[in-house]
Amino acid sequence: MPMKSIIFNEYTKIWSYRAFRVIILLHFILFFLVVLVTSRLDITIPGFSTDYLYQFPNIWEFFPWVASWFNLLLAILVIVMTGNEYTFRTFRQHVIDGLSRFDLLTGKGFLILAIAVYSMLMVLIFALLFGFIFTRDLTMAMFVQKTYILLVYFVQAVAYMSAGFLLVILFRNTALAIVLFILYRLIIEPVFRLFFPPETRLYFPMKVISNLTPMPEFLSISSGNQQDPDSVDTLNLREMGILAEDLPVYLNLLLAVGYTALFIFLAWLLLRKRNL
Amino acid sequence: MEPILNIRQISKHYGRIIAVQDLSIEVGAGHVFGILGPNGSGKTTTLAIITGVISPDNGTYHWYGRSASAAIRKNIGSLIEVPNFYPYLDLVRNLILVARIKNKPIEDIERVLKLTNLWDRRKSRYDTLSLGMKQRLALSAVLLGDPDVLVLDEPANGLDPEGIAEVREIIKSEAKKQKTIILASHILDEVEKVCTHVAVLKKGKSIAQGRVHELLAADDPVVVECDEPDKLKSTLVRAGMSASIEKDGNRLIIVLKSGYGARDINQFAHQQGIVLTHLETRKKSLESQFLELVKQ
Repeated sequence: MPMKSIIFNEYTKIWSYRAFRVIILLHFILFFLVVLVTSRLDITIPGFSTDYLYQFPNIWEFFPWVASWFNLLLAILVIVMTGNEYTFRTFRQHVIDGLSRFDLLTGKGFLILAIAVYSMLMVLIFALLFGFIFTRDLTMAMFVQKTYILLVYFVQAVAYMSAGFLLVILFRNTALAIVLFILYRLIIEPVFRLFFPPETRLYFPMKVISNLTPMPEFLSISSGNQQDPDSVDTLNLREMGILAEDLPVYLNLLLAVGYTALFIFLAWLLLRKRNL
Repeated sequence: MEPILNIRQISKHYGRIIAVQDLSIEVGAGHVFGILGPNGSGKTTTLAIITGVISPDNGTYHWYGRSASAAIRKNIGSLIEVPNFYPYLDLVRNLILVARIKNKPIEDIERVLKLTNLWDRRKSRYDTLSLGMKQRLALSAVLLGDPDVLVLDEPANGLDPEGIAEVREIIKSEAKKQKTIILASHILDEVEKVCTHVAVLKKGKSIAQGRVHELLAADDPVVVECDEPDKLKSTLVRAGMSASIEKDGNRLIIVLKSGYGARDINQFAHQQGIVLTHLETRKKSLESQFLELVKQ
């Protein structure tokens, strides 16, 4: 089936679906409220200001981290939209009408990418808006530094949604997939990780994905310390156990892409092998 | 001539349950092929296999002499079991999705909705339709793009008598266009009226297959009335002409062996000096034939 038709069909399905529009709106509003409210916080500790979080280049780190809190909503969105295909038996009907199973996968792949692009654009627009308001004496170097985190956030959103997609393809049940996704992310994997040595815990899928946008180093940023991440100050924080020892970004990114590919591949195997 | 659909020795099991076993069917171009069978006989599984939603455990099937593919399915209009649409979309949007999948012109939606008397409801959401309307929408989707082959599983399901008659007319008019139609139905009268060929399934196996008129004529009983029914019965048995004879007063209901007809009985009785006062070949309905086959 031509790609254009697959994309148009996914667009028709999602945009006419009220739950989709509500969840996207909720996602947008929640993110906006959090960044707005945080920007208005008046913390009166000498030498400490939240304004630094809203200045370039720190905002590229701070906003994706905030946005990552709401990735769960995006994953739920993908689970709902895919689960609907089983509930309404439309995956089955599409195959009868002439779609290949790969077309089914491609359609949902586009959905995941489209949602991730929306989310990344949302972060970009708000980051530009708040960044320009809060940053004084902006230089190009300050502006572009850490912009790569936006792409890292994109990979993270895709990875979360792919995990949700795999679960709903596996269980063919929206509610079960949502519950299991939340349980796995918040309880099952964190508990399971405890049985492994600390150095291996960083390689578990949810850990890898969530570590893509780690919590910004608030103490150094908010006190106006603009040293690079490997500065003595940051290393001290890590040594003190305040910040977790993370894998290098490139390795984390590589692992997240690998996990995403694995999730999609497993979903593809299930789609191909199972009766609809 | 290459058959449109050639099913060879397909089997499908669900655990210990046999859904279809060693089923072979050939459907030629322009045939209206009825698939009959009681509930659980494997009709829907067979249709689900040939439309790509279920993989057979064994056996093969070919459309137009080629292995099944999504491209082939685009040119086959199929309605399997219940209609499946997005409940929150209106009729036109649902059909637009189908038209895009099948690569058919969106302009054809108006024609098929008018054909199934749903044009006035085109802006209604699917979940507001009655069961019969949903079934008619499924038929609209099947007819979209005027496909050469139709696969219909219980197309009259949920329809009122008027709706059933409409569906029958649609099937008849499609058949007149020399289209190939594969039809599974419980309404045997409907099958008898529209089908040229038929296969009867029982427990996943084909127990009878062929042209409808051949299947019905295979053992049409001959009813005779005479003054000496016992004498006629015993002589017919001795002559080895009958497969079975039932006596009902002065009447005999005779199922003849293959190769014999009512004319042979008349001649035989005359030779035996028995005067027949009544002789008729009783045409079996597909329903009675079906029930007999299934009971066996």
